[in-house]
Amino acid sequence: MGLRSYIITRILLTIPTLLLLLSMVFLFMRVLPGDPVYLHFEKKATPEQVEQMRHLLGLDKPLWTQYIDYLLGLVNFRYFLQHGYPNLGKSMQNYEPVGGQVFSAFPATLELAIYSMLIASVMGILLGVISSKSYNSVLDHLIRGLGTIAYAIPVFFLGIMFQLIFGVYLHWLPTGLRINPNVQPPAHITGLYTLDSLLEGNLFKFFESLKALLLPSLTLGIVLSGMFIRLTRTNMLETLRLDFVTAARARGLKESTVTYGYALRNAFLPILTMMGLQFAMLLGGAILTETTFSWPGLGSYIVSRINYRDYTAIQGAVVMFGLFVTLVSLVVDILYAYFDPRIRL
Amino acid sequence: MERAELTIVVLVLIGIIVSSGTMYYTATVVSNVSTVSDDMSTLRESMLNLTSTVRDLATITGTLAEAMGEFTQTLADLEARLAAIEASLAAKAKETLIVGTTDGVEATLDPAQAYDYFGWCILQQIAETLVSVKPGSISGTDFQPELAASWNSSTDGKTWDFTLRQGIMLPDGTEFNATHVKYSFDRAINLIPDIPDGAPANLGYDQIINYTEALSRYTVRFVLNDAFGPFLGIMACRSSAIVDPAYAPMDAQVNYTSGDPRGSTAAAFLAPYYLSRWERVGDKDIEIRLDKNPYYWNATSEYPKTKTIIFRFYRDFSTLRLAIEAGDIDMAFRHISAIDALDLEDNPNVEVWWGPPGAPLQMLCFQENHEPLNDSRVRKAIAAAINRTAVCATLFPGLANPTYSMIPPGMLGHTEAFTKLGDLNYTLTRSLLAELGYNETNKLEFDLWYESSGHYPLSAEQALMLKQQIEGSGVIEITLRPADWPSYRANRNAGIMDVFIYGWYPDYFDPDDYVFLYWASWLNLHYSTWSPAAYAEQVALYNEARYTSNTTLRVELYSQIEDISVEQCSIVPLYLMPPWAVTKPNVKGVVFDITQDMRYWLIYIGD
Repeated sequence: MGLRSYIITRILLTIPTLLLLLSMVFLFMRVLPGDPVYLHFEKKATPEQVEQMRHLLGLDKPLWTQYIDYLLGLVNFRYFLQHGYPNLGKSMQNYEPVGGQVFSAFPATLELAIYSMLIASVMGILLGVISSKSYNSVLDHLIRGLGTIAYAIPVFFLGIMFQLIFGVYLHWLPTGLRINPNVQPPAHITGLYTLDSLLEGNLFKFFESLKALLLPSLTLGIVLSGMFIRLTRTNMLETLRLDFVTAARARGLKESTVTYGYALRNAFLPILTMMGLQFAMLLGGAILTETTFSWPGLGSYIVSRINYRDYTAIQGAVVMFGLFVTLVSLVVDILYAYFDPRIRL
Repeated sequence: MERAELTIVVLVLIGIIVSSGTMYYTATVVSNVSTVSDDMSTLRESMLNLTSTVRDLATITGTLAEAMGEFTQTLADLEARLAAIEASLAAKAKETLIVGTTDGVEATLDPAQAYDYFGWCILQQIAETLVSVKPGSISGTDFQPELAASWNSSTDGKTWDFTLRQGIMLPDGTEFNATHVKYSFDRAINLIPDIPDGAPANLGYDQIINYTEALSRYTVRFVLNDAFGPFLGIMACRSSAIVDPAYAPMDAQVNYTSGDPRGSTAAAFLAPYYLSRWERVGDKDIEIRLDKNPYYWNATSEYPKTKTIIFRFYRDFSTLRLAIEAGDIDMAFRHISAIDALDLEDNPNVEVWWGPPGAPLQMLCFQENHEPLNDSRVRKAIAAAINRTAVCATLFPGLANPTYSMIPPGMLGHTEAFTKLGDLNYTLTRSLLAELGYNETNKLEFDLWYESSGHYPLSAEQALMLKQQIEGSGVIEITLRPADWPSYRANRNAGIMDVFIYGWYPDYFDPDDYVFLYWASWLNLHYSTWSPAAYAEQVALYNEARYTSNTTLRVELYSQIEDISVEQCSIVPLYLMPPWAVTKPNVKGVVFDITQDMRYWLIYIGD
């Protein structure tokens, strides 16, 4: 199978995956205890008000009608073109379009995930390689210990420690939020403050956004790097023992070329898989970091919506996560096929 | 060969050798002379080049010196500009107050809908009412004129005339007048059926106000259905703020619109500030920015003191505390935890401001649909086993005050009625429950609910202490049950919870907005069903107090209500909380009073 056919097959496979996810979320949300209509009212509502609200939210229709309406809304491309986000329904709590809410919260999470993954992978892979190269030395033990500590440390604890050290005591970095309160955020283009600042041509805002990003992404990055250190080390140790590495050394290639050009490239596939999985996890699992740093992302949004049993909002957010996880998996699969042509066979 | 021939050959050879040597030497000398000549010419050329280079160098040195001079000048200019920027930043910093909070606007900034503390707080800065409570008020009933220059009421208390200030301009150039007032109140009442959860609906505007009439350009009349004692309190509420007809449709609520702060509030910009930015992600606030209103009618009073207020929103109190400690924000208000605020008192880099205990009230509510809580003896028995002072001393040391009345101290009608039941009065608890057959072997059992998502301060700890105190009687067994705020509210509405801790923040500062809690239907305690006689008597007394302007009579009536309430114990008042804020030391002008309002236009950044 050629690379193109492989990609097309993988894209087509994502459609039933997404449909399954959508159906499961839709059904599970409706069998969970708690009626969003009652949670909507500040004070006890009359039966008429409850019915009126139920009608307004479309909850008085049969379940299958609600399901079909929901799916039709999702594939309404005209709506997407008009608003710039898909029709994910209206929030049961404040009637605002869920698509708009999710799309406004998502860039913050995405930006945090990108920078955290960058820190985690650079730090994890580099230390993993160094550790494997100095097998059983003091340095190896130190890095392994560091990896274990990084993996085991609670993310909120590390976050608070960083806030105390770099924010409260040293006054180097802000303790939370996406940008210094004194600085007007960049105009919304992508929603990623660092990128938008650059597109705006404002280096000052870029550095301020970067400063605000540093502590949360470092916190998440360090915690994640533990896994990458161990994974890289193990895979590198195995690869460095293989014949082709010995052969490369025998041919007089530089050690750095042997390590990074030959061994790491071969040991990289499992690391790439883990990067894809972790990136997807980051999007949904950065809730603690978002809370610690008052980071207004999708994680915090979901938590607040769950409290109100806001079906449509939770559905919307989960669909967004699902879509992104599927997308990341697709990219990883394609990269996999690129790195290892045997997969396409 | 002959000797002569040999001599000739030798001589020839010598000649050849000598001549060859001479020729070689001559050639070498000539070559050397030529090389020297070449060298000389190269040397001459080099000398010329050197001279040229030296000349160039001199020129470069001159240029360099010139450039250095310019660079020094530029550096000096840069330094001057940097100093100017620093000075400007310092000046700007003084013009901007950054406030951190964990609060947020619950739904809208439309006076016809907003019914939450923070929404009202923002409206207080950007929307103006006819009257307001004086800053520093002890009773909450000292009113001062705002958009109304003066007012008077008829002797029967049913008609109120307000004379408006003249010459107050709206940003669009129209003059504020009586039609704006009439429009605002007509709209608030008109929207009540569509916004049943809005403040005007909850405060009963449609029941209090019969109609509003513009008597003249600067006089507006309110005709009430009945004389209403706390009418000025209602007028000072944020739900009585004047709206701008251009932005406030008569038949629709105004909601948040991304990127359009002006279109996101119905308020007429007549107050010290106007809403210049409002950013939300999902339904959570990210930033609210208020700028000095150039049209503010009272600008000559030099208010607002600070040009810009920026609100930044933190997820929890611990992050908010870190932000004020790190100096990221100038002020933290609602909610650094009380314990953290106490802890910060020793920190020289911040200042902690405390207000008088007053507005937020914690109370214990009983669901009377759940037997045997429908028996007032059971409720009294539980109330008698409580020790408020111990809870305050343990959980809110030096902060909260125990209260034995629904009406706060300092306010008209305050009594100490619930002291009759005593603290930890186990004798009374046991004797009352013994009448119903409860004892050490047959204990009264019920669930005590508390809010678990931080809506009330230390709610879980309060519940635990109350459980220990009440169970100390030996005849009661309690199961603690937590619920997050949305579920807690839904449980309250559904009447699920046996006994629960609840809080109250008044809409206006009058006993009228406190004592009704004993039978408030929205608490859904079914008090009127199970105690109809007491309920009817309390409501009659309440209405009598409500519709009279005779203060002495009102005090007497409220006292009677409290006496009945002690006997019924439908709700037991527990403690009153103070407000607090933490600021940088250079922040001045924070004024707290019984209202717990934060008047940001009084606050400024000093040296």
